[in-house]
Amino acid sequence: MQHLEINSNQIDKIKEISKEEKKFRIKNLELFKASGFPNKRIEDWKFSDFKNIIDSNFEKLDTKKASSDINKIELLEDFEHNNIILVNGNLYSSNFDYEEKNKIKISVCDTNIDYKINKNPLVCLNNALAENGYSLEIAKNYKLKKVLIIYNFFTEDTKNKILNNKNKIKVSENSELHVIEFTINKSRSKFINNVYENIVLEKNSKFKNIFIQNEKSNGFFHKFLKSKLSTNSDFTNLIFSSGLRFNKLDIECDLIEENSTCNILSALFLKKNEHQEIKTLINHLAPNCKSNQKVKNVLSSESKGVYQGKIYVKDIAQKTDAYQLSKALLLDDNAEFNSKPELEIYADDVKCSHGSSSGNIDQDSLYYLMTRGLSQTDASKLLIKGFLNDVVEFIKSPSIRKFIETKLEKQINGH
Amino acid sequence: MLEIKNLKASINNKLILKGLTLSIKPGELHAIMGPNGSGKSTLANVLSGKKGYEVSGELNFKGENLKKVPVEERAKKGIFLAFQYPLEIPGVNTNNFLKTSLNSLRKSKGEKELDSLEFLRLVKEKSSELGIDEKMLSRQLNVGFSGGEKKKNEILQMKILEPKFTILDETDSGLDIDALKIIAKGVNSSRSKNKSFLVITHYQRLLDYIKPDFVHVLSDGKIIKTGCGDLAEELEKTGYKKLN
Repeated sequence: MQHLEINSNQIDKIKEISKEEKKFRIKNLELFKASGFPNKRIEDWKFSDFKNIIDSNFEKLDTKKASSDINKIELLEDFEHNNIILVNGNLYSSNFDYEEKNKIKISVCDTNIDYKINKNPLVCLNNALAENGYSLEIAKNYKLKKVLIIYNFFTEDTKNKILNNKNKIKVSENSELHVIEFTINKSRSKFINNVYENIVLEKNSKFKNIFIQNEKSNGFFHKFLKSKLSTNSDFTNLIFSSGLRFNKLDIECDLIEENSTCNILSALFLKKNEHQEIKTLINHLAPNCKSNQKVKNVLSSESKGVYQGKIYVKDIAQKTDAYQLSKALLLDDNAEFNSKPELEIYADDVKCSHGSSSGNIDQDSLYYLMTRGLSQTDASKLLIKGFLNDVVEFIKSPSIRKFIETKLEKQINGH
Repeated sequence: MLEIKNLKASINNKLILKGLTLSIKPGELHAIMGPNGSGKSTLANVLSGKKGYEVSGELNFKGENLKKVPVEERAKKGIFLAFQYPLEIPGVNTNNFLKTSLNSLRKSKGEKELDSLEFLRLVKEKSSELGIDEKMLSRQLNVGFSGGEKKKNEILQMKILEPKFTILDETDSGLDIDALKIIAKGVNSSRSKNKSFLVITHYQRLLDYIKPDFVHVLSDGKIIKTGCGDLAEELEKTGYKKLN
């Protein structure tokens, strides 16, 4: 790849920023310029050599803006929902007709800077250049009546661009929000979307987030998701983002107060040269918190799946209940799954467990199903669906579950 | 229906079936008894088409050589194996699986596929006939089923799929007397002049409820004795050793 040119006067073009912010942005840009794209020598990127992936896929890259307009948007009709529409990461429109308007605040994300230096070069790049994501805030004591779909559109003119966005979601005390982040990619060319997302859950709040995309995509996605969970709050991530050329979801979750819960579950079906990583860091910083991670990957042809999951338990975080499991089903000799579970525990009265396994489709199970007249292909599909099923089961709403199942099935049948 | 002549089967270069000859006519129920390691389950596997066996000799089903017919095609021709150890298939709903299975068999016979409603009606009918709680079928296939439930599920599958030729591989082992009666009922109510059965068992107990037309003793990969129902009773008294 030719050299990526980023001019620091690009930062000047971001309007109305404070001196402090400008300083922070320039500092981050310098950090990024010093390190460049992360490569496998950096521990957090050891299974996803991003520099190498970028070098072999892009001849040039720039950070110029892509369009923030779109002609036609087809909304899902599978179930009633609120929506936020993002075009290349920019907030385009929103609709909360099902809800009490004064309970929801949505705006272009402007001042969402966490003045901390992150060692992830892509986060530095985002800190330097991000503008125009969204900020969503749910007021106290309000449970949204309908699910919110965040339509994440990418347009044709994103070729060779790096799009940096920052988003923020805050769910206030006793409130509840369910989101489906639905990526729709109209761009056939390659581009990078680099997102920083900040999530704050106040006391007794609930936030459920489903990641899925509409179609296969040439996009290269990286998202750093930072969340803070207060007393009794509940944060659930369900990841079904198969079909992406590259996707790294880096989730950091701080359980800062008692009885908070974090769930991260993923069911992926990867094929061809798709590469997906889920990296998690769960910080148990208060007693009596729960975390549950289950990562299931089905990998065919030359796809690659990565799971790096770390659980940190602070000395005061007694009665922590932390569970972590990753399972991979490899359908092809050339498919690869890497898993690195880590536990760092400083409290003495905790329940922490982790497990990781990978293997082929069980031949005896296949034989059993085939004795009932199923072809080898159908029997395999049934076993694959079964393998991924316990993550899908986590979705309580029948219509949403049906929607996800259909998408997943399309992935599996296309195999 | 089934003609086996001088059937030999080996796995990992170990010869298990050493020239087995057996003929089962339509409507007949044959029982095969034999000590552990005599090749009973291998026979069941070879008949169903399980991969991994080196097979020689004659193996004809309704006049057609089965040797090159793959597992699922044998199922479509009407061969059904009730497993000794039915597998647990996590995440696969029993009803969905059975519907897929039944419809693929129906399709191959040129029959109309059943929709969900028709299928559920059929399931209800068959399970109440056997006295099986149909709730079992909304669970994941065999997952967390007791030994008895698994075997009952096999018999229910047999009732729904209506095979021409059923192999019961030690379906009776590990069952209590009530479950045994359900299994027997399932088999007896399916018997007809164009359906045949091969019942593999260790004990005569099952044969108190299912009356075989013939009893064969399998030992060291061969049938060493054939008789009527009373052969089983004799074996129960004397054991297999006396026969050798």
